Amino acid sequence: MDDFILGFTTLFFDPVGVSVFFGGLVGGLVFGAIPGLSAVTLATVLLPFSVYFAPSHAIMLLAVIYVSGIYGGAVTAILFNIPGSAENAPTAFDGYPMTQKGESGRAIGAAVTCSALGGIGSCILMMAATEPLANWAIRAFGPPEIFALIFLGLSIAATVGAETVWKGWLSVLFGLLLATIGTDPAGGLARFDFNIDYLMAGIHFVPLILGFFAVSEVFIQGHQIARGLRVPPALGIDFPSLAEFWRLKFAVVRSMMIGFFSGILPGIGAVLASFLSYGEAVRWSKNPERFGTGEIEGVVASETANNAATGAAMIPLLALGLPGGALTAVMVGAFQIHGMEPGPLVLITSKDLVWVVFVAMFLANVGIFMLGYIETKTVVHLLRVPFSLLAPAILLIASIGAYALRGLVVDVWVMFLAGIVGYLMRRSGYSMAAVVLGVILGQLGESAFIKSMQLLDYNPLNFFTRPVSAILLVLGIASLAYSIHRASRIVPDEDAREPRTP
Amino acid sequence: MPQGKSVFTVGGLAALALGVAVSTTAVAADLMKPGGYPERTVSIIVPYGPGGGSDQVARAWAAAMQKVTGVGFSVENKPGGGGLAAIPDFMSRPKDGYTILEQTDGIITAEAAKQIDFTLGEDLIPICVTQATFSQVYIRPDEDRYTDWASFVAYAKKNPGQVNLANIGVEGSMEVVQWGAIEDAAGINVKQISFDKPAERYASLIGGHTDALFEQPGDVRKYLEGGQMKAILNVLSSSPDAFKDVPSLNDANIGDVPVLQRVRLFWVHKDVPDERREYLVKACDVAFKTDDYQKFNRSKYMHLARSYYGGQDATDLVRGLVDAYVALYKKIGFSK
Repeated sequence: MDDFILGFTTLFFDPVGVSVFFGGLVGGLVFGAIPGLSAVTLATVLLPFSVYFAPSHAIMLLAVIYVSGIYGGAVTAILFNIPGSAENAPTAFDGYPMTQKGESGRAIGAAVTCSALGGIGSCILMMAATEPLANWAIRAFGPPEIFALIFLGLSIAATVGAETVWKGWLSVLFGLLLATIGTDPAGGLARFDFNIDYLMAGIHFVPLILGFFAVSEVFIQGHQIARGLRVPPALGIDFPSLAEFWRLKFAVVRSMMIGFFSGILPGIGAVLASFLSYGEAVRWSKNPERFGTGEIEGVVASETANNAATGAAMIPLLALGLPGGALTAVMVGAFQIHGMEPGPLVLITSKDLVWVVFVAMFLANVGIFMLGYIETKTVVHLLRVPFSLLAPAILLIASIGAYALRGLVVDVWVMFLAGIVGYLMRRSGYSMAAVVLGVILGQLGESAFIKSMQLLDYNPLNFFTRPVSAILLVLGIASLAYSIHRASRIVPDEDAREPRTP
Repeated sequence: MPQGKSVFTVGGLAALALGVAVSTTAVAADLMKPGGYPERTVSIIVPYGPGGGSDQVARAWAAAMQKVTGVGFSVENKPGGGGLAAIPDFMSRPKDGYTILEQTDGIITAEAAKQIDFTLGEDLIPICVTQATFSQVYIRPDEDRYTDWASFVAYAKKNPGQVNLANIGVEGSMEVVQWGAIEDAAGINVKQISFDKPAERYASLIGGHTDALFEQPGDVRKYLEGGQMKAILNVLSSSPDAFKDVPSLNDANIGDVPVLQRVRLFWVHKDVPDERREYLVKACDVAFKTDDYQKFNRSKYMHLARSYYGGQDATDLVRGLVDAYVALYKKIGFSK
């Protein structure tokens, strides 16, 4: 507690520190919300200027940007089906359908509150036990355990948002197929590249999610307008009630734990955290069929987990010097600019600095809640804009986002192609959420699988010789079997032909 | 540092000192921006994940280039395929000088092994080499099955195929060829596990999922100083002063093993206008000599030998290395 008070007073009795804190908070929110840009973009731009800051301010600035940037993309995902960043994609799975049902306020309220709760919970764990947690995590989880965790996540993916489980599985497999395009993660062999550099590099995730979500939605809405079926969404600015949060308490705690442990593993991070957490929310729900149609628990799962991953990602960085993702690598740069190396010694030699960062991240999560509350009451009114004006704006923002990523016009074309494919698939009862789960889990899973096979002498049965991977795989196989069993007993409702979202 | 058995000659130890003596301000005066280039952020594609040696070099270089040119240099990590996945990503970008590729000797071995269908120095042109270094083998300091190179070899001989080594790279890469030569000379059989993301690679050793690590000392300096890793072999003919307690190849009686160096360098596409490429070469020259980059260089043990080659020198070094690897592959019977 003394350390917390020390960090708090160091931060808030210094006007420069306060300015840096609020600047980072707002900057992260804005950059996180714009597709194609991210908290990493802002952090990279600011890094060279951090030389003019005190070390504690420089590191704190990046940490605050990290926290608010992860949340920033949730609002556009919920209101317009445009996830600002990959880790907000699962938020759109249910957040946008909630908007369509006139529950945008509830969705943003849930996202804000749960981002803050997830972040605060993870900060408390970070403050309590950075070193032992870091050492435990890297010992318990090697490539086989990470693969088993991803397999468990994939085993539930088919049940999200599709008309039937079989169509769900086809959607997942399509996503897995897309993930194999490009250079393979181990041997450097090109797959499905047709001798085109763009394909050899693999299709980037950002144009895909912009196409599958934002562009296909514009087409779907346009289709409904043409058929005279479109009902504009009602405006909802109501925050979820306390009773509702209490009902979701287990979901929040579960998502916090998943987010935290995903964040603590080097190379995993917030993206996988939100996808895995969403999958688990579906698995544990009594009504899994509601996911993908506007279930608040879907928003809760995704947003709690991705923010819980931020505090957790600081643990291997500070305790072991291992930056697990791009933003933590930028932080290493900030440490080095000031003549320090993150690692076990920092916790001893620069305790003041570490506690300023801890406190700043904790307060940034509180700040998200306050700024988010204001957003709920204000930004939601953007939905009053007629769709005929909103649609070109969505297409424009999505196009800029796809282009800004790498300065490639091809990415914009790929986005529109994904939009057309997404439109046709959704009209036929397939699930974009399941496709996207397949793409992201496929890319990470293949990399973990190849390393595992090398470690396990190319014998898949050896996965079961390691307790953690064995338990996760058995759970995944059981879940898969149950899903197939259920699918074979359910007769699809032939009348349910209207496209589902997303 | 690498001596007689190095597959390439990297000039004299004095070269770096000589280069540093050139006045920074004198070179800066030549840094007139051709046609206003660069006027916006330049992207550097790093072929591995965040946190490793290539990422550290790229970020330090980006900061120095930013200072010299006055525009931002941002780093994009594109891991995969042992470093090769970044190449098509780079090739698909506009050829306007706003995207730079970082690569290691991995791209050089890829040409030598005919894994890529273009010619280095012609289709891709190096701007500068900013790092040339040697490798080491590491274990956990609290490892009780073996504590040094001799006991590691003894343990590996007792457990053939059961010991694993965290590494990176595809068949024919510097790491895989170098370790293969060490294995053959020492009479051991160790599994190599390729990790594209450095954080995962280092965590795999510290967390006990792999038994040893093949890496360069500058990349893991903080883990060495933090007591999380311990060097047990210098992949050099003789040990440098900074690691004089660690045996060299000669000390380990495997002195016939060829010494392969890790080089890290920056490239542009041949279609980038000449004046832009020449500007980048000059800017790199100045950036390398900045105090901050020199400080970074020293922290990575790079001051021990020549680690900078600019413009034509870099191209000559690359072509020399391609030829040397082709000859080496022939000698060891490697073919793709």
